[in-house]
Amino acid sequence: MKRSVVKAACVFVFLAALVFSNLPSSMASQIREIRISDSKGDWGFPNPYRHYPRGPGYVRMSWVFDTLIWKDQNGYIPALAESWSFDADRLAFTFHLNPKARWHDGRPLRPEDVVFTLDYFKKHPYRWITVDHVSRSEAIGPHTVIIYLSRPYSPFLSDIGGTMPILPQHIWGSVEDPERYNDPKAFIGSGPYLFRDFNKAKGTYLYEAFTDYYQGRPKVDRLIYLRSGKPLISLSTGQVDLANIKPEMAEQLKGKGMVVIKDERGWNKKLMINHRKFPFNDKRFRQALAYAVNRQEIIDKSQRGFARPASFGLLSIDHEMYNPETPTYSYDPAKARTLIEALGYRSGPDGRLTKDGQPLKVELLSSNITVAGESVADRDGEVIKKQLESIGIQVDLVNMEQATTDSKVKSWSFDLAVSGHGGVSGDARILNEMISSQYGAGSVNSARYDANPELNRLLEAQMLEMDQEKRKAIVFKIQEVYAEDLPAISLYYPDSMAAYNPGKGIVWFYTKGGISKGIPISQNKMSLIR
Amino acid sequence: MRRGRYIKPLPAFVLAGLIMVYASYRLPRLLPGDFVSAMYASSPVTLTADQEAQIRAYYTRGEGFSRYLLNLFTLKWGYSYTFLAPISALILEALPWSLLLMGGAHVISMLFGFIAGVEAAWRRGGYVERAGVGCMTVLEGIPEIGTGVILLLVFALYLGWFPASGADTAYAMFSPLGRVWDAAQHLALPLATLVLAYFPGNFLLTRGSMVMVLREQFVETARAKGLPPVRVRYAHAARNALLPMVTRFGLRIAFMVTGALVVETIYAYPGLGTLLFNAISMRDVPLIQGIVLISSLMVLFVNLALEYVYGWIDPRVGYAQ
Repeated sequence: MKRSVVKAACVFVFLAALVFSNLPSSMASQIREIRISDSKGDWGFPNPYRHYPRGPGYVRMSWVFDTLIWKDQNGYIPALAESWSFDADRLAFTFHLNPKARWHDGRPLRPEDVVFTLDYFKKHPYRWITVDHVSRSEAIGPHTVIIYLSRPYSPFLSDIGGTMPILPQHIWGSVEDPERYNDPKAFIGSGPYLFRDFNKAKGTYLYEAFTDYYQGRPKVDRLIYLRSGKPLISLSTGQVDLANIKPEMAEQLKGKGMVVIKDERGWNKKLMINHRKFPFNDKRFRQALAYAVNRQEIIDKSQRGFARPASFGLLSIDHEMYNPETPTYSYDPAKARTLIEALGYRSGPDGRLTKDGQPLKVELLSSNITVAGESVADRDGEVIKKQLESIGIQVDLVNMEQATTDSKVKSWSFDLAVSGHGGVSGDARILNEMISSQYGAGSVNSARYDANPELNRLLEAQMLEMDQEKRKAIVFKIQEVYAEDLPAISLYYPDSMAAYNPGKGIVWFYTKGGISKGIPISQNKMSLIR
Repeated sequence: MRRGRYIKPLPAFVLAGLIMVYASYRLPRLLPGDFVSAMYASSPVTLTADQEAQIRAYYTRGEGFSRYLLNLFTLKWGYSYTFLAPISALILEALPWSLLLMGGAHVISMLFGFIAGVEAAWRRGGYVERAGVGCMTVLEGIPEIGTGVILLLVFALYLGWFPASGADTAYAMFSPLGRVWDAAQHLALPLATLVLAYFPGNFLLTRGSMVMVLREQFVETARAKGLPPVRVRYAHAARNALLPMVTRFGLRIAFMVTGALVVETIYAYPGLGTLLFNAISMRDVPLIQGIVLISSLMVLFVNLALEYVYGWIDPRVGYAQ
């Protein structure tokens, strides 16, 4: 009798375990842990001064440090600031902070912390933002802060509002060398997760839910990052719950019950042009290149169809300020030849273009490129070489590793180079950074093109225009002029995808315009909050 | 006389060490590009010319060969530009994993390669020996990347017996024994890949030298004396076939750092190879010079030790000196 009772109890416990283990996680009150992987793993310590200046580094920091406002799949949402407003007459932004906001050590977050953060970043710059336009800031009452601008600055909400992590004054107030500050207190933020551990060699991170988080306790108790270069295997075997994937893996992973999500078009592959030397300094030649390059063929051959042709105006076609009237260059090799011949080149008997007995010969640099933290091999160079050779340009294709290619581009010792960057669906400031040398002289992806005074004027004007509609009109014009001048040629937007295990009860999404300044990664902290 | 034998190789090794110290300083600086461009090339952060200059100045302050030498002798390895951590901490974090993986693979493949080589030579001409030599020649030709991917597909993806990546299940709450078992499971595939890569070479080398030794008259004498075959094989013959293996071991030490990169990458296994690769791609000069120096000094030190071991294994080497 006794034995049969024990047996029945065992069977009951077993069945109960079986039933509960199969319940959707969303029904359980709290999810134990989530594991996320990428191929590099190590993105630095998650605080503003010690994360690497790459998207995955910022995202790892964003779990610990909150900003005034944030973005989700639809646009800006409240974060530390419950509400905000702009007074155009006084050039002042007012933020009303959430009274429930706390630091991880239990102290309340005060408006003085925001004032301190702005002052601290003036003294010790945080490269993701610029505080040059902030003249002063002041705390008004227990939960309000006003930030005054010295001159209009249109990317303010994106920069100061949505990217600047707020630092606790009671900790950083006495720190003189923030880049070498390695105390556990350096990781006290106001974000939804407490930083617990980071192992550089293994590329692993451990975060634990901050139960007093002002937006409510996060849904997942432990958040773990790890390194895995094989997302297909890691996801299939349940080692990880979320990872970036290659588009070819999508169908197989869907078959295994994973949910595959696709980003908006926020990263563009482009052809860099040395517009400082002949014949590239003539815009007709650059336009000829645009006509000569068959972007659909590149997409079909090197991207296996997983990409979309880009706008020649640089800004993403998904951007709310994208100009649909931007000039375009459909594949037209005959027109390309005509334009080049107008520059004095003649076609020889072998079909090759020459001028004064000299053949038209260019060097095309190509290398691996890092996209969303993953290194991706380049195959576009071979297709472009063939296309340019078909109109009579001799092409010397040189494959090198990324840093070497970048250094050649940076020092202008190149003709053409295959390159790429993100941020084209984020704030329109990206136009200034990727076009003008005033904003992008330190960037290897910037065209650093200052030859057109009208373009320079428009770029400056859009930074000063606080009215969104008026700014949009200027940005429309910039795209037109840029597409006409073509200091660089945007080629395509590769499909960017991630896959996750829906069994954990978390819905991951890509952020509108990318996280912060346009990071094309699907790990938005809001997925674990709401 | 004996002391002279120990001192004689020292000047050459000291000179080589000094050359390596200079090479570790100079070579990384010949790489095209610099860390600011490498670090910010794929970054959402766009630097202005001033910001770029500020960052470069901040990190490269106090550089120069004399400072490097001074820091070296005061054991200040410096601070990594890109990893934002002390060089010594970075190397010490990665080194144990390299030693575990590469050291384990070397020891296993040498031990078993040697025994298998001796046994194969002893059974020369037999079916097993010929099959063994054939298989090992084929295996020797397969690169680590090939074996690694095959093992990964079969044992991690399809059979699911072993984890696909990492050195352990990150932050899993295991008992101490469970932790060891977990680490062993993670080590299995990368270790097997390396053993499969190293074993054939050791086998073929030992077999080759053993076949030569077995023709010697002293082996004939040992047999004629009626000694047990195991004693003839190992105490008399194999000891004389050991020298090439020892030399090989010394040469392979260099691969402790660079040789594991492919396997570390395939299995996302931590180690010096990955650290060095990242340091080079990021143009992190202090870290590159630290790793290059440590690995080259390791090679020197092991080869110096082997100078003495040669004499111990084969006294004829000592007499020749």
